[in-house]
Amino acid sequence: MVSRRTAKMVAIGVLVAGALVAESKKEFHFTVGPKAGVSVMNPYGSISVRPSTNNMVVVNAVLHSDKVEVDNSQTGNRVDIQSHLLAGADAESGRVDYEVLVPSDASVTLHSSTGSLHAEKLHGDVSLEGPGATVDVRDVSDAHVHVKTMNGAVTLNNIQNGHVEVDSLSGEVTLTGVNGPLVQVVSTSGRINYIGDFGNSGEYRLTSHSGDIEATIPEWTSADVVAHSVRGEVHDDIPLQPKTHTWFPVDKGRAFAGTMGRVAVSSTVVLRTFSGKIHLRKRSEKQ
Amino acid sequence: MNCVELQESLAEIEIDEGGNVEQKTHLRNCPHCSALVDELSRIVAAASELQAADEPSPRVWNSIAIQLRQEGLIRPQPRRPVVPSFTARWGQTRWLVPAAAVLLLLVGIYVRQESLPNQLAKHASAIQVANPSGLDDEDLMQEVAANAPAMQPEYADNLRRVNESIEDAQSAVNDDPNDPEARRALMDAYQQKSMLFEMAMDRP
Repeated sequence: MVSRRTAKMVAIGVLVAGALVAESKKEFHFTVGPKAGVSVMNPYGSISVRPSTNNMVVVNAVLHSDKVEVDNSQTGNRVDIQSHLLAGADAESGRVDYEVLVPSDASVTLHSSTGSLHAEKLHGDVSLEGPGATVDVRDVSDAHVHVKTMNGAVTLNNIQNGHVEVDSLSGEVTLTGVNGPLVQVVSTSGRINYIGDFGNSGEYRLTSHSGDIEATIPEWTSADVVAHSVRGEVHDDIPLQPKTHTWFPVDKGRAFAGTMGRVAVSSTVVLRTFSGKIHLRKRSEKQ
Repeated sequence: MNCVELQESLAEIEIDEGGNVEQKTHLRNCPHCSALVDELSRIVAAASELQAADEPSPRVWNSIAIQLRQEGLIRPQPRRPVVPSFTARWGQTRWLVPAAAVLLLLVGIYVRQESLPNQLAKHASAIQVANPSGLDDEDLMQEVAANAPAMQPEYADNLRRVNESIEDAQSAVNDDPNDPEARRALMDAYQQKSMLFEMAMDRP
């Protein structure tokens, strides 16, 4: 007599086999010129973009069922990939996971409602958007990096000379080694962490309505820093030369404004929250 | 003159005068065209009595747009160019116009307050008029239910958060209309809410 355990294993095996049969892979190749544009629109699933070693765009797609197709087109120097949901598709059966290789100077636009968005080692512009998507961008230089999420966590790592704009509602935003002419984060309730040195002569604006903002910087950082919390608190571990003029009253515990390091090469840093806490921390040697 | 010729010349008919001789003759002998002209006359008369207030509210247009989208009769516009501006997609979302109008109103008030500090109290009362409910949360959730039902809880949660942030900031502005940070927080909160609406509409 077949034991209950064996029956269970057989049932699981059948389910797994069914899922594997439904899953399929597609691969697409496109030859592009310098500074190509690549767009991937994926309602459900992850998208990961890495640099290719030639002038090819290579798209590997894993489709989780036959209720979704991959539409692809190339118009001149632009490649568009779109997951096309068929009747009855839902978040699971409509899922497609993409691995994309692009020339490192390509501009990339990624959109997924769920799943993760990842881009690395590029120096073309990067735009990532997804309400529930987690976002991870690293090792990008000389580029615009635009991120828009609702509740997904955002991690930016080693973005050099970037024009960075992050809009998030409730996801945590962590910037590590991010600098450039403009670095701006706006959040409603998400926490914002900045770990870096605020670069040279850039503008850094970190705003969260109720989330905490923490900036951890080396002591040798050069920056004009203004921090203000309407109903929260501010803490400053680093001695600043106080500013004589500010556009708001510097109430102790609610705001601080001052300069650190060499004024000639300083960046402008504005940290704002309504009810969260702001903490400007000195980076220890171990960090 | 036959029916086709009369209908082609309808635009030239002076309703009050009943048309030219040919038109009058045809209308006397053709009950179909006569009924058509009568109906048009009634519409013209009624239209002249319409007031501006009779215009359907944006919400009516929103509902129609959502319905048409659900039935597949209209589709979103083609995708945007690479690295688009986050604020350049209002064209797809006609029903965000009221939201944009509220934002513009706030920006206008803010700029005016910056330049005319003595009038702060007066303008603060204007800020209070900007009610968050003007952004029509029901439409947002309806859109999400139709297009991303699995994400309804997330949208509902974030909508609640952003509405709370608006209420917080509004309260601070009411407490101290002179506080530029409170006013800025209020503007930011409205912008975040607009972003939430934009995100709900702007799906792949």
